[in-house]
Amino acid sequence: MSTADSATIRRKSLKKTITDSRAIQLIILLIGVVILWSLISAIIERPDRYLPSPMTTLFSSVDLLKKGVLLSFYADTLNRLVIGSVIGIALGIPFGLLLGLNRNIADMFYPLMNFFQSVSGIAIFPIIVIWFGNSNTTVMIVILYTSFFPIAFNVLSGVRSVPMRYISAARTLGASRFQIIKDVLLPGAMPSVAIGSRLSIGFAWRAVIAGEMLAGQAGLGNMIFAGQELDNTAQILLGMMLIGLTWIMLDHFLLRPLESDTIERWGLVQR
Amino acid sequence: MTGEAKLIVQGLSHHYPDEYTGESVHALDNIDLQIHENEFVAIVGPSGCGKTTFLNIIAGLLPYREGRALVDGTEIRGPGPDRGVVFQEHAILPWRTVKRNIGHGLEIRRVPKAEREKTVQEYIDLVGLSGFEDRYPHELSGGMKQRVAVARTLCADPVIMLMDEPFAAVDAQTRITLQDELNRVVMATRKTILFITHSVEEAAFLGDRCIVFSRRPGHIKTEVKIDIPREDRVWKDMVDNPKFTEARDNILRLVRSEVTNDVDS
Repeated sequence: MSTADSATIRRKSLKKTITDSRAIQLIILLIGVVILWSLISAIIERPDRYLPSPMTTLFSSVDLLKKGVLLSFYADTLNRLVIGSVIGIALGIPFGLLLGLNRNIADMFYPLMNFFQSVSGIAIFPIIVIWFGNSNTTVMIVILYTSFFPIAFNVLSGVRSVPMRYISAARTLGASRFQIIKDVLLPGAMPSVAIGSRLSIGFAWRAVIAGEMLAGQAGLGNMIFAGQELDNTAQILLGMMLIGLTWIMLDHFLLRPLESDTIERWGLVQR
Repeated sequence: MTGEAKLIVQGLSHHYPDEYTGESVHALDNIDLQIHENEFVAIVGPSGCGKTTFLNIIAGLLPYREGRALVDGTEIRGPGPDRGVVFQEHAILPWRTVKRNIGHGLEIRRVPKAEREKTVQEYIDLVGLSGFEDRYPHELSGGMKQRVAVARTLCADPVIMLMDEPFAAVDAQTRITLQDELNRVVMATRKTILFITHSVEEAAFLGDRCIVFSRRPGHIKTEVKIDIPREDRVWKDMVDNPKFTEARDNILRLVRSEVTNDVDS
């Protein structure tokens, strides 16, 4: 076995040790938060109104589960997130690419993109409601709108930041314009695509929650909102926890593996 | 040299507008050069003398208007796989493994996978990268990266290999090893090579002919023939070879006079 191979194995076992100790750290952190939460809940007056204990919050989920609404709310919200952000990203990548490849088109569209990027999803909400009413369509349009710009902008700058020497090298190997896009510009733009996807999905996730609240569509956002009206604080906390935990899972099972298999494997970013 | 002329350059001049002032810069002045089959030609000159500009024109990366340049009898119009380039550094693709970088030219040409892998393996062995086929560039040393770059260019089987200061960015010891290895590779492949360097020693060690460029506007100041068989060009013997030391000192004097002129003016 060469020294390089044993170094790889050492690196892998080191990585595993780090992962294990991170998992322990996370568990300790979670226990700490739950203890602190229980303590505060125990010493304040009227905890059911201001801060229900972790147990109470958990029971409220059982209650909602029994009614069969929790899962359907959760599914509604995830559904919107996935469909909205997938369409947003699917439109944003080719658009960003087009702009990154053609300076004339980029110069033409840039001011417009810059303008709309600053008008956040929440700010376009009222006009979309006027056009489409308090409907699922309204929520979907806002999610799509919100997730489109971060990815489009990042792909644009990612394509432009690919070093000229990579393009020259491919050209001297006889690459066509299409081959240069496929073999050089797209993989070269991957660090920005990763950042853009992360931002797009993150923004979309916020837009779903806000959209459901404002348009009154069934889902987690609406559940939190209803919790306030029904004076059910445990339901609010439950919704918040589900939102946060879902993001952590999306990050851990989707975004992180995507990054470690591409840009980290290629040595384009250090982690 | 008896072989057929692979590269013919006649009366090539080049002007370009300065990036900031917009004034016309005279980079190359009336270059005449022929490179024959199996010949190794090294161009040496002070920095800013236009030698990289010259290489970029031959590579087809820079359009030219004044004079002619032909490869294998065909006028140069843009880049092509008949002129492979080894760039100074960091030009292999970080997202491709060693073997996929080396096979990129064949992949572009749509060579079937089985045939491609066979050819790639030959070049991996030739440059001594066996065992590193599936590594990514960031896992390699600077010297190994340049071996990949050389193998990638050779694997595409160009008519002429253009090398733009390929060993300038590696440490001195690695450079010596790479120079020895390049000689071995040249003997094995009989490639026609145009090699740009600012190192007089490197030019004398590698070149069958050394072309000395003047300072800007670059023109060919003189040409030094180095008549040493390639199999004798090994560093441990070359340091005592009078033909080598004489040629090196001769070229050094010519280059130095260019630099000194620069200081005087």
